[in-house]
This record gives sequence, C-alpha cells and structure tokens, in this order.
Amino acid sequence: MREIWSSAAYRIAFAYTAAFSVMVAGLGTVVFFAADANFRSQQDAAIAAESDELVHEYRNGGLAELRENILRREADSIADAFGYAVFQADGRRIVGQLDTSLPAAGWQNIVFNGPADRSDPARALTTPLSHGLILVVALNNDAVEQIDKIILVLFTGALAVMILLGTGGAIILGAYIRRRLERISGTAQAILAGELNRRIPTKPAGDEFDRLGRSLNAMLDRISELLENLRQVSSDVAHDLRTPLTRLRGEIDAAIEGAANSDLQQAALERALEQSDRLLSLFSAILRISEVEGGDVARSFARIDLSVLVADLCDSYCPVVQDGGRSLTCRVMPAVEIVGDRELISQAIVNLLDNAQIHTPAGTNIVADVVTASGNAMVRVADNGPGVPMADQRRILKRFVRLDVSRTTSGNGLGLNLVSAVATAHGGSVTIADNAPGLRVSINLPLLRPAA
Amino acid sequence: MRVLIAEDDDATAIPVERGLRKLGHIVIRTASGQEALSLGAESHFDVIVLDRMLPSMDGVEVLRRWRKSSNPTPVILLTALGGITDRVTGLDAGADDYLVKPFAFAELAARIAALGRRPPLATAQTRFAVGDVTIDLLKREVCRAGQVVHLQPREFSLLELLMRNAGSVVTRTMFLENVWGFHFDPQTNLVESHLSRLRSKLKAVSSSDPIETLRGVGYRMRALA
Repeated sequence: MREIWSSAAYRIAFAYTAAFSVMVAGLGTVVFFAADANFRSQQDAAIAAESDELVHEYRNGGLAELRENILRREADSIADAFGYAVFQADGRRIVGQLDTSLPAAGWQNIVFNGPADRSDPARALTTPLSHGLILVVALNNDAVEQIDKIILVLFTGALAVMILLGTGGAIILGAYIRRRLERISGTAQAILAGELNRRIPTKPAGDEFDRLGRSLNAMLDRISELLENLRQVSSDVAHDLRTPLTRLRGEIDAAIEGAANSDLQQAALERALEQSDRLLSLFSAILRISEVEGGDVARSFARIDLSVLVADLCDSYCPVVQDGGRSLTCRVMPAVEIVGDRELISQAIVNLLDNAQIHTPAGTNIVADVVTASGNAMVRVADNGPGVPMADQRRILKRFVRLDVSRTTSGNGLGLNLVSAVATAHGGSVTIADNAPGLRVSINLPLLRPAA
Repeated sequence: MRVLIAEDDDATAIPVERGLRKLGHIVIRTASGQEALSLGAESHFDVIVLDRMLPSMDGVEVLRRWRKSSNPTPVILLTALGGITDRVTGLDAGADDYLVKPFAFAELAARIAALGRRPPLATAQTRFAVGDVTIDLLKREVCRAGQVVHLQPREFSLLELLMRNAGSVVTRTMFLENVWGFHFDPQTNLVESHLSRLRSKLKAVSSSDPIETLRGVGYRMRALA
C-alpha cells in the first residue's frame, strides 16, 4: 500500500478517480434535491386545484353537494390518490375517509391512517369553509418518495461503478506508467552499475516515453563520446609527455655522466633545455585550447577587419614561406568584418599557414584567401601538396591526431584542434576539403553584417 | 639598476635574484604583497618584478594601488595564468609587461633591461643611432653609413626595437609581442626570416653585420660596427 502511495503514477490516477467521484456525488445530490423540490411543488399544485374545485362545489351546492362530490371521487379514485375530509368546527370528521385529526389551516405535512392500518405521511391543504366547516384535501407522499428513491439508487449505483472502474483504471494506468518508467530507471541503474553501453529500449512508433527514451539515449551517446574523448586525450597526453620526458631524463643522465667533460655536459644540458621547452609548449597549447573551449574568451571580442588581418599575416608570412622554398599567394576580398578575438583568430590563421609549410614538400604553392558566402566569412588556406586521404580529413581536427604515425615530425598534433576550437568559440566552424591536389582548410566565421 | 622582486616562490625568486645581481643590478626581494606595496611606494626602483599571486595582498591589487598613487615605476607582472583575459586584467591594472611562468631567465633579464631604459613619455626619443646605423621614427627612415636603406614595415619595426634596446638583448618573444602582437609562438621561423632580410639589407650597404645573434637568447645591436 505504501508503495502505491509513494508512486506518482498511482497518486495521479487515484486523485483523478477521486475527483470524478466527488463530481458524480455532487451532481447526484443536486439532481436529487432539484427533482424532489420540483415534484413536491407539482404535488402542491395538484392538491390546490383539487381543493379549489371542491370549494367551488361547496359554494354552489352547500355541504350536500360537497359530500356527494367527495363520495364520488373516493369511489372513482384508485389507491394512493387524493384523500378528503370535511371537519366540523369541533374537530369531528363528518365527510370523507381521510383518517386524520384536524390539521391547522393552510399547507401541512400530516400523517394519516392508510387503508392497511399503516401510518402514511401526506401533504395536505386545509381550507376553512363557511359555517365552521373545514375542508382537508391530502395527497400521499408515496409517489415523490418513490422517485426520490429511484434517483438515489441510480446515482449511488453510478458512483459505485465509477469508483470501481476508476480504481481499477488507476491501478492499471499506474502500473503501466511505472512499468514504462522502470525500463528507463532500470537502464540508468545498469549504467550506474557499470554497463555504460546499455541504452533505453524504444519503439520506432514513438509515444512520449519513447521520445524521452530517445532523448536520453542521445544524451548518453554524447556523454560517452565525450568520455571516450577525455579518455583518449588523457592517454594521448600521457603518451605525448612520456617521449620528451624520457629524452629529458636521458639528457640529464648524460650531463651527469659527462661531468668530467664540460663541453659534453653543456651540450647535454642544452638538449635537456630544448626537451623541457617542448614539454612546456605542449602544455601551453593544451591550456590554450581548454581556455578557448571554456568559452570565457568571448569577453575580449571586438570588431575585426578580417581582410586587413589576413593581408597583414600573408605579408608577414611571405618571407618565411619563401625561405622554405614554397610560394604564398594572397587573395583577399576587401572589407570583410567579423567580431572576435584578434589574437585567437591570428593564431588560428598562423596555425594553418604553419601547417601548409610543415606538411608539404618544397616547391608547394600556398594560397590564402578571404571570401564571403551565405552570411559567413571564410578564411581559406589551400596548398597543392600531398593532401590528406578522405578518411582522415575529419579526424585531423581532433586533439593529438597526427597522421605521421612515427610522431617524429614537428608539431604536437594540437594545431588544427586549436583552429577548430577557435572557430567554434566564434560561432563558426572549420571545414577540410580536397584541393585536388592538396589540402584546403577553411575557417568559417559569422559575418559582422551579413549581406541582405 | 635597482630592481624590486616581489615573488613568494623561492624556487623562482632566488635564481632570478642571483642572476640579476650577476648582471650588476641592485636587487631587493620580498615575498609579501603588503611589504611590496610599501617598498614600492617608499623607495625608488627602476623596474619592479611583481608576482600576480602574493600572500597578504594580490599582485594586481598592489599594482593598482601604486598606479592610483601615481607611481610610474615600470612593472613586469609574473603569472602562472596565461589566459587572454588574465593578461588583459594585468595590463589594465597598469602592468608594462606580462610574463607567463615558467620563463627563461634570459627572457626576464631582457625585458627588465628594455623597461629600465624606457624614457618617460614626455621626452620620447624619435631618432636613434647605433654605430653607423640610424633610425628616424618620424620620417620612417633608416640610414647606414650615410646611405638610406629601404625596409619593409615589419623590418623597420624589428630594427626599431633593436635600436631602442641598443646594447641589450631582444628576445624572440619580445619581437613577436611588439612587432606582431602575438602572445603565442608560431611553429615557423617568422622572426628569423624577417631578421635575415633586415640583416641582408643592412649588409648590402656595409659588409659588417650590425646585428648580433645570441644563441638561445635573442638578438642585439652591436654597439660599434
């Protein structure tokens, strides 16, 4: 029983049933009293009419006429019809079979001795006539009481059926809702217990429970994707740290070994410093990405003329690219404005320019441009180098993904991930495309004033 | 120069103090924010190195109070927080430079030297001469041995920074911050490429190299060509 009351499903179903029952009971009461009052006023009207008729007879023909009339009516009447009595002033009944004592004048509820020697309640109208005579016309209450009883029985029955069906329905409905919810909470329990891959069973037809289940499943999928990502990142960080740390340890070892030879020691210490710098730059890259992903950077957003920024960066990068034996061409649409953090946007573009140099052979042509398309500003950096296989194009945006399995090329596998984080923080995105040949990476950012 | 170091981490402060003394600076060290506040207000320093997080009073708060009482001493804010917004709050509070931990001692020393020599704004110098190289910031003109050298805007800025700091070292990150406004380290040799172009343009006039490379530290104008 307690289990039932602690269940919201049962409580709701029962509350509903109770509310309906109260309504039916209320309706029954109103109908009962309204019908009763109505019947009683009809009864009074009939008595008044009968009484008027007899008074009329008395006025026309005196007591003799009245007596004859009453006798005739009594003879004609069927059971439970009117009862008549004419009393003298001293209270003696001289005409009529209505066996009762003399009531007071006007409308009265009386009790008379019926045909089978039983006391019957009745409604009576007492009218004084001339010469101290008093006429009483009564109608017994049986008919009204009969109707009242029928109404009472009907509504009580209806109420009983209502409560019975309602309670039954509430139990069935409660059990159904509980069963559906238990499937969801059961899955949650299983996930808590460690079965992370369990999902809520849903039917394709899809009522609200199925929709809830599907939303929860989607949420679980997203969480497990994030968890997987986190796990991947932690293991990648551990892996990426181990190599430089091992080398660092080796160099320190060599420095200690080479204590006798100061040149060797110096060289080993310099290499150790280099390794620790690599570690530090890896950390600052990781921290920068989490800062950008944390979303706090929006506070420093301002208007940026992307055209000027990119042209300026290209200007700065031309000598670097040329020194590496590649070429850089810049095609910039004028006056493309966005809102953002100048430094982050610069860093993202610099990362693309760096990548286009690091991962391509000498002789590669790099093209950087700024265009607008459907409300977006696009900064694109394209090269005609070896490109990236289709299968890896989405993957390279992820953290620590380096296509060079040996992990010997420079770069920490965080460059494009930062670009992607910066674009996302600005409400934009990064797309990777085949430049046929080569690779084209676009940073898409919402325009400050999209063309109408 | 008189340098105040307000830093509560001895592992950071002691090597810095030792290094600066070796370079000939007079160093006073404190580990408390309150003490730094009164030291900075009472005696003269050429440069103050202020840690952002100090016991008894936050470094940024100390800096704000100095600036409120119109103390113009150049301040380098040291911090473990490298975030963009952290840097903006530091600079807003009145810091002249901002260095994220961990840093190389040479980097800090170069920045202290640069800040210590900075003239008050009122007497801003617009013309510098080092050896046979002169730079005129108003005319945007560079001459070597009397001959005009035509430089790209970035090359001009690089040379300007070197000339302003003649005799002391300018690090790679100082170039990146001052010339490009980058507070990150590009993976390609941005600074080196521009410097090598600047060098060859200067050397086209007279064969000696007026810019000295200090490996692992930075670059410096040679006092005498």
